[in-house]
Amino acid sequence: MLRYVNYDIVFQEIPGEVTLALNLSNCPNRCPGCHSPYLQNEVGDFLTEEVLSNLLVTYKGGITCICFMGGDVSPCEVQQLAEYLRREAPITLKVGWYSGRPQLPEDFDLQFFDYIKLGPYQQELGALKSRATNQRLYRIFDQKMIDITSCFWKKTAD
Amino acid sequence: MLNSEVFIIKRDGKKELFSIDKIKNAVAKAFLSVGSFATQEVITNLLSRVSITNGASVEDIQNQVEIALMSERYYNVAKSYMLYRQKHLEDREVRDKLCFLLDYCEAKNPATGSKFDANANVENKNIATLIGELPKSNFIRLNRRLLTDRLKERYGKELADRYLDLLNHHFIYKNDETSLANYCASITMYPWLINGTMSIGGNSTVPTNLKSFCGGFVNMVFMVSSMLSGACATPEFLMYMNYFVGLEYGDDYYKHVDEVVDLSKRRRTIDKMITDCFEQIVYSINQPTGARNFQAVFWNISYYDRYYFNSLFENFVFPDGSKPDWESLSWLQKRFMKWFNKERTRSILTFPVETMALLTKDGDVLDEEYGDFTSEMYSEGHSFFTYMSDNADSLSSCCRLRNEIQDNGFSYTLGAGGVSTGSKSVLTINLNRCIQYAVKAGLPYLAFLEEVVDLVHKVQLAYNDNLILLQEKGMLPLFDAGYINMKRQYLTIGVNGLVEAAEFMGIEIKDNPDYEKFVQQVLGLIETYNKKYRTKENLFNCEMIPAENVGVKHAKWDREDGYLSPRECYNSYFYIVEDESLNVIDKFRMHGKRYIEHLTGGSALHLNLLEHLSKPQYRQLMRVAAIEGCNYFTFNIPNTVCNECGHIDKRYLKECPTCHSKDVDYLTRVIGYMKRVSNFSESRQKEAALRYYAPVR
Repeated sequence: MLRYVNYDIVFQEIPGEVTLALNLSNCPNRCPGCHSPYLQNEVGDFLTEEVLSNLLVTYKGGITCICFMGGDVSPCEVQQLAEYLRREAPITLKVGWYSGRPQLPEDFDLQFFDYIKLGPYQQELGALKSRATNQRLYRIFDQKMIDITSCFWKKTAD
Repeated sequence: MLNSEVFIIKRDGKKELFSIDKIKNAVAKAFLSVGSFATQEVITNLLSRVSITNGASVEDIQNQVEIALMSERYYNVAKSYMLYRQKHLEDREVRDKLCFLLDYCEAKNPATGSKFDANANVENKNIATLIGELPKSNFIRLNRRLLTDRLKERYGKELADRYLDLLNHHFIYKNDETSLANYCASITMYPWLINGTMSIGGNSTVPTNLKSFCGGFVNMVFMVSSMLSGACATPEFLMYMNYFVGLEYGDDYYKHVDEVVDLSKRRRTIDKMITDCFEQIVYSINQPTGARNFQAVFWNISYYDRYYFNSLFENFVFPDGSKPDWESLSWLQKRFMKWFNKERTRSILTFPVETMALLTKDGDVLDEEYGDFTSEMYSEGHSFFTYMSDNADSLSSCCRLRNEIQDNGFSYTLGAGGVSTGSKSVLTINLNRCIQYAVKAGLPYLAFLEEVVDLVHKVQLAYNDNLILLQEKGMLPLFDAGYINMKRQYLTIGVNGLVEAAEFMGIEIKDNPDYEKFVQQVLGLIETYNKKYRTKENLFNCEMIPAENVGVKHAKWDREDGYLSPRECYNSYFYIVEDESLNVIDKFRMHGKRYIEHLTGGSALHLNLLEHLSKPQYRQLMRVAAIEGCNYFTFNIPNTVCNECGHIDKRYLKECPTCHSKDVDYLTRVIGYMKRVSNFSESRQKEAALRYYAPVR
């Protein structure tokens, strides 16, 4: 089962949203230069529907998005939790997934997501803020993935 | 009487082995000074009346010698001895002042150099600021005497003594004791509009056009501020200015601001004429002021959404019979904010402190246009406060002070009723010490606190008596002329060290039922007394004081006296400022209605962030504030100032983006206003360094 270490309200990961970001552990990607290597171990509490339900009670009025940070060890569980959020959370609440995979797994169902980030971290190319980055952030509309990575670049340009 | 191992305490607090010869010498000299001679026998007789115990002070021993001389009937010698002591006392005072003068000149900045009550809005130290510092100790003595004399008369000596006792042992703190003037005021400018400054002792007549409005306004604010110890708020500033701009360029001026209206070679447009007025007023008011020992005046203004404006000014009538116009005022408000934000990248401008007043309904801002505009200004890096309320029955016109609006009516002599308010005086309770002391002494802490709370109300009433007396003698023209209404001014009970007290009680400083109950109990108790002592003439409110100085002093004094004092400054937040585990929404929640309910005088949430957010994100956080009932907040992102080339950047940077120097300083909000971190007092700088700016991940 997926485990999470902590959560925070963040502003940079998903542009324009006030996001509750859940940091999932047991990350299998092992990117060199990883900014949170502690998330590579199997640590933290189980991320159950009950945990999500409690977080919704506490934060649903304040946030506009919930984002799973990691979870590549079991994408289908991420999808199940996203499905749960679609069912239980207010319809306006968006759902995101930060994955380190180069592509989505086969038969991954996009309908439960509004944002998806793909791509491992490659030190020489930098993270999303770098124009050279290999990573991509997609906005999902009608199950189509629209690349919005350039949102991160305008900010650093001024 | 003698014992070889007796130590006495010298005036500087140091211990010294007691020496009998020093007394003998002093007595011998006293006899010689009146042409007499003390034999060994005389001296022995005198000394037999003096008893020295371990830890006796020099002062105490000298008092005993005086009494001994009189008991032995050497009256002229005693008199000479007393005169000698008095002369030395005066010498010591002068010496202390000299030491202070030299120390002040050496201090890194004026806030660190100030011994008593650092003026926050002084940037540089010089002879003028030194002149302001020197008499502060005398003011403290004078103010205490005025207050204790009144307390004795009203409630008896016991209460006056208890007041001094609590003050000296830092259970309570009298704010602004170094000034004689009442604290702060949000003024109505109507009396100025119909009488000029004559009625407050000035010589200017009423403003008649935009030019005389701008010049006259600056003078008026200086005059008003010189009669206050704290802030001067002019919540009608833009509304009045809008009226004069309308007189000059037509009521619909905002529809054609690009029109050239200046026939000089400059060919200025209406917009340029208006921003030139902003420039004149803002730069003038940010100047250090001679009459205030080189302090800038502390100036606040307000912006309103459509609903607030209607509620405050719907009955307002200008002397020519016209009414304020929302559409043009709204344009002018926005223009001022945009201009000021941009101007702040050119120069460090501290004032005005600005507050945007927004009405909320069902968890959001009611005036969508102003909700969006407010978010836009935050996202452009502008730093200002937002005040939100479900009902236009309260207003925050100062950098922190919230007031109930008692009367939104309009009067032809006083103008809009809702804007006239303020605080006459602040007396602060050090909650951390009160609660720790009570618990350690085995007393129920609420009962102990209740006695303190009751006393501070009585002291405030005594202060009020003195103020009324000053008014009766014609010393307070701001009241007489109607700029300030005595009955709408609050007596403020300040609180400090609330979080630290809860920590001592073992309560986790998070949003949880225990902490909520503790806060409700403590602040609820104060509110109960505020209501109990409320009369037609006297209003009380309670505020979490910003504690620029006091919070640092309390933390230091408490630590020195052995109380738990976990940080160097007791802040004005309901959470621990350096706590990294709390997220942004948690912080809004901990400044939300369940916590601030009894804080009738207000407290502001200063949300420290490392980076600016986008407009939709700020917009969402305004919803969060509305949902949580956090009525007063600002976002604080340190701005960068380059010490080499002077470039100012709205972002928090380690390196100047223009000249790439790493010698940069930061502007941040201490209390209500932006200031260079290097101009904070030393202990405040330490606090600022600890302050947790949430990385915007």
